[in-house]
Amino acid sequence: MGLREIITGRHEVKGPAPDRLFAISTAYVALQSEHSIDPAGVAAIVFQALATSEFEATLRDMEEVVAATGGESGTTVSTQDDSYGYRWMVLRNPDGRPSVEDLAVGINAVSSSIETAGHGERLLCAVFAFTDAQHRPVYFIYNYKRGSWYPFVPEPGDANERATERELQLKAQMSAELPIEPELERWFPLWGIPI
Amino acid sequence: MSVMVRRPSNFGRDTGLQARMVLTMFLLGLVYAVLIGVLFAAGAGAVTIAVIAGGLLLIQLFTSDKIALATLGAREVSPADEPELHGIVERLCVQADLPKPRVCVMETAMPNAFAMGRSPKKATVCATTGILQMLEPAELEGVMAHELTHVINRDVMVMTLASFFATLASMIAQFALFFGGGYGGEEEERDIMIVILVSVIVYAVSFLLLRALSRYREFAADRGSAVLTGRPSALASALLKISGTMERIPAKDLRTAEGMSAFFIIPARAKRSLMNIFADHPPLEARLEALSRLESQLQGTGTAAIA
Repeated sequence: MGLREIITGRHEVKGPAPDRLFAISTAYVALQSEHSIDPAGVAAIVFQALATSEFEATLRDMEEVVAATGGESGTTVSTQDDSYGYRWMVLRNPDGRPSVEDLAVGINAVSSSIETAGHGERLLCAVFAFTDAQHRPVYFIYNYKRGSWYPFVPEPGDANERATERELQLKAQMSAELPIEPELERWFPLWGIPI
Repeated sequence: MSVMVRRPSNFGRDTGLQARMVLTMFLLGLVYAVLIGVLFAAGAGAVTIAVIAGGLLLIQLFTSDKIALATLGAREVSPADEPELHGIVERLCVQADLPKPRVCVMETAMPNAFAMGRSPKKATVCATTGILQMLEPAELEGVMAHELTHVINRDVMVMTLASFFATLASMIAQFALFFGGGYGGEEEERDIMIVILVSVIVYAVSFLLLRALSRYREFAADRGSAVLTGRPSALASALLKISGTMERIPAKDLRTAEGMSAFFIIPARAKRSLMNIFADHPPLEARLEALSRLESQLQGTGTAAIA
């Protein structure tokens, strides 16, 4: 933030950082082979849906694009809004054929069309779901503003607690493969992930 | 991947507001320059006062948030205590690429919210229990985005620094009232009178300018909220709800909060100000109108893009 922006009190929302989304499509190999964390075959992109007709049209086009690109791989798309008013576009691989590459391509198609429409600053994050050897969910969250990833492992139950130790282990294990967010205070949780 | 021409923002430029803000700051600087000149002309005693005031200013910058939070009885809440409020703030922090501020809650039925802290790293946002109960999530998000914009714009720092010389001038005027005149030669007494007179004038003029500056910062924060959430009308709806109850709140409850009003989203005052020139918040109608302009710009960019 420059002095000029401070004086004028003017601040625009940052657009997405250089894209490092596709890091996950190679990193998951290490997750799977070395740490027995398997892809759950589902991922989601989270963004603020503007209540304008133009944005709605963008969304409709986007779903068509994703459905078309997903046609070959069998990826399906569904949409839902969370209680904070953010929209989740959930991409699901066909049963038994989880493919992180397909999901990353689909998520990238969504984010690209939002950016192309000039709404890049509305993107919040992308979430990729995995399950560990104990069948507990492990999430990797991609922060579009910072172009970095961080692990998110909720404790079982509704207590909204996270397994910090596990997350820190994942950071150590994956930092060679994924651009992990260095500032731990930016590892924002996402409770009630619908995937 | 994301190499593309960046389309202009969803919201138009706010050149008028920018110009008024810069003009106000320029006038403040001008008034302050006169004061400094007179102080130096008056000699060493006045310079000592300025140094002391500078020290006070630093203390104020570094402690005011803690003192304010303590006097207001705000307590820090954990994500477990207030999951929704934390969730809203966290999502907005991701959007704004801000470190997460401390989140506090104040036990009062009066619906309000404010932000404190001299820099984003040291910021605190606070909401009252009244506002948490009253607003829908989207409206609360608009309010918290307004407060976070104050944090992003470093409004506490800007207002504290901008009011430094106004504070100094008022100190000199008050000091002189207590210990006024009666010593030294006739010429020295005349000098003191000039210093006092200039101080009083500087204080009066800068008071009005500071109020104007504060109003512009409010408009800027409203705009920042709209830009951050993409939902200007949600903030407008929140302001309507809040102000509806603000005017019914008995004045007794408000006195403790009065001094804090510069950082509240709606000033804690039961009566409408007779003259807007003295108000540190813009009138509700003006804020609603600005937000409605933003909403039409947002909707307008849509039709422009389709056409």
